[in-house]
Amino acid sequence: MARSRSRSFITTEKPTTYDEDQFALPNLNSNWVYYKGAWLVHIILIICVKILLSSVPGVSSETSWTLTNLSYMLGSFVMFHWVKGVPFDFNSGAYDGLTLWEQIDNGAQFTPAKKYLTALPIGLFLLSTHYTHYDAITFLVNFTFLAVVIIAKLPQLHKVRLFGINRLEVE
Amino acid sequence: METAYPPLNELFVFLNTTITQISIFYSHIPGSGILLKYIKNSHQNDPFRTILELLLVFFAIIYLFTKKYRTDNLIELTPQEVEELVDEWQPEPLVPQLSDEENEFDKIPVINGPQGPRVKLVNGKPLLNISSFDFLGLLSHDSIKEKAIKTLREYGVGSCGPPGFYGTVDVHTEIERKISDFLGTEDTIIYSQGFSTINSAIPSFCKRGDIIVADEGCNFSIQKGLQISRSIIKWYKHNNMEDLERVLRKIKDEDIETGRRLTRRFIVSEGLFENYGDITPLPNLIELKKKFKYRLILDESLSFGTLGKRGAGLTDYFDIDPNQVDMIVGSMCYSIASSGGFCSGSFEITEHQRISGPAYCYSASLPAMLTVAATESLKLLKQNPLLLSTLKFNTLLFKQLLHNIKYLLLNGSADSPVIHLRIDEGIVRVGDIEDKEKCLQDIVDEAMNNGVLLTRAKYNRTQELFSIEPSIRICISASFNKKEIEKTASVIKSAATKVLKNRVH
Repeated sequence: MARSRSRSFITTEKPTTYDEDQFALPNLNSNWVYYKGAWLVHIILIICVKILLSSVPGVSSETSWTLTNLSYMLGSFVMFHWVKGVPFDFNSGAYDGLTLWEQIDNGAQFTPAKKYLTALPIGLFLLSTHYTHYDAITFLVNFTFLAVVIIAKLPQLHKVRLFGINRLEVE
Repeated sequence: METAYPPLNELFVFLNTTITQISIFYSHIPGSGILLKYIKNSHQNDPFRTILELLLVFFAIIYLFTKKYRTDNLIELTPQEVEELVDEWQPEPLVPQLSDEENEFDKIPVINGPQGPRVKLVNGKPLLNISSFDFLGLLSHDSIKEKAIKTLREYGVGSCGPPGFYGTVDVHTEIERKISDFLGTEDTIIYSQGFSTINSAIPSFCKRGDIIVADEGCNFSIQKGLQISRSIIKWYKHNNMEDLERVLRKIKDEDIETGRRLTRRFIVSEGLFENYGDITPLPNLIELKKKFKYRLILDESLSFGTLGKRGAGLTDYFDIDPNQVDMIVGSMCYSIASSGGFCSGSFEITEHQRISGPAYCYSASLPAMLTVAATESLKLLKQNPLLLSTLKFNTLLFKQLLHNIKYLLLNGSADSPVIHLRIDEGIVRVGDIEDKEKCLQDIVDEAMNNGVLLTRAKYNRTQELFSIEPSIRICISASFNKKEIEKTASVIKSAATKVLKNRVH
């Protein structure tokens, strides 16, 4: 049966017929969050972006912090909450309908990796507000992006798609 | 400060000293100065922002200290519970007690000597074997035996490895080339088991989310292949092209309605249906496949070597360019009288399977002697067009003789050497499937007493997706002469009459 496109505001991804496939093999796509250096690389990337942006002449501290914030939030949103499935065929498509965030730890909540990846954007935002004098609009822009990333990480939004955006279209 | 109440004074002194001490203690904590400076700096005379930031900090702290929980429904057992479960477990007997099937096992005839059109039972009784898939009678051909023995001396018994790992020898590439030449396709890949050919070829191309439209009458091997592929399977009524078009149209409508992304799409059908003995209308199938932009996988296990002027299967039979069919899957266990299977198509189709066909990658390759036996059979088939015309003649003769058979229905296309005899429920009063099978088994037993070896079509009914009417499956062979066909037909007729005449309405 094909489900028709969003009639309601909130929809939940239903379990598929072959959900048990998810336990047949380790998920190499999401297990990397526990690899050596996988946590550190976030910080290194953020620092690199910040240095790069600050070194451009004429860019104020506010702009460079805002852009650093935005690029991290956007990047992590796309990687963790938008792209679905596994790029290589490891699991016979068992994760086709799930984002990387939903795949991490097989959907378990409040695991160390999830805690780290939630705390990181908050820390980044707090740092940026500390070192700058945002005007109201820049502050709001930064805060909105942070809020979007944080809300997407909430356990209440596990497997939930808003407005039918980014749903699994088949089955 | 002087007050009238000395105790209150003391309290102030106490409070002051405590606060001073706390602040001194606090300044000794590493990083405390930074935090203080941070809060002062961040405040920036905007209490709203500070509150927001504090809320964020609280959220982070709460998040960090919440306990982990799982969302999948796996139950984690304590070691104690595991112990209990282990203690409770009772092993099943290695050899389970036989139930009703016990009678059936007793009735399975045991043949003394090699398989062939004329066999002898262990009790010495000679029988005409009209139940084996050896359509061309090549199973007992001398030159094939000789070649096989010669290859056995040269190459040894097994191939000792999957084709990708030292399992491929020259005879494999030779037969791949020969089959491609015979069919007229670009390339061919050889599998070592006939059954696992199509159920390996399908999942090597289809994945979850792909759409497969398949015939309801497809054999067990195809059903398993479809299941393993995890694709979305839509079924159309057996050999019903209108229904196929309806299904394809419905999928198209769904595509537009849901806006789902385009995935791989396949139509799967059998050339000559193992369970029905009828031929799929290939020209219509190709027309529909082109109209709706699908790829066609055709299982030619039974039609290869039996249908067509050259015996090259359905494309030969309908005189269609074989390259119009995307994948022709066949078996070398039946007409070719060897073992294994093949998948033929374009170079890309076969080359892809060499690294992603499970049965090709993980199963030892076909033994060299069986490969050579298959090559030899193919050569014999090419050299003797008489084999096919005899098969055709025998088939027509048999059908003509059984044309007016009472109590039973003759299922299958006119040219098909596979015939299913099903009980005519318009005349005969029968109960459920078990009862029908019992009746048919009685006919089989009766025919065996009169010198004809028949078999019921047997299914694993718990695994089959669609229920199939019980039947007696007859496979005509080119090695029978006219007399033997006549004898077979009359034995079947009289057996059916004897068993079923008491059950007439």
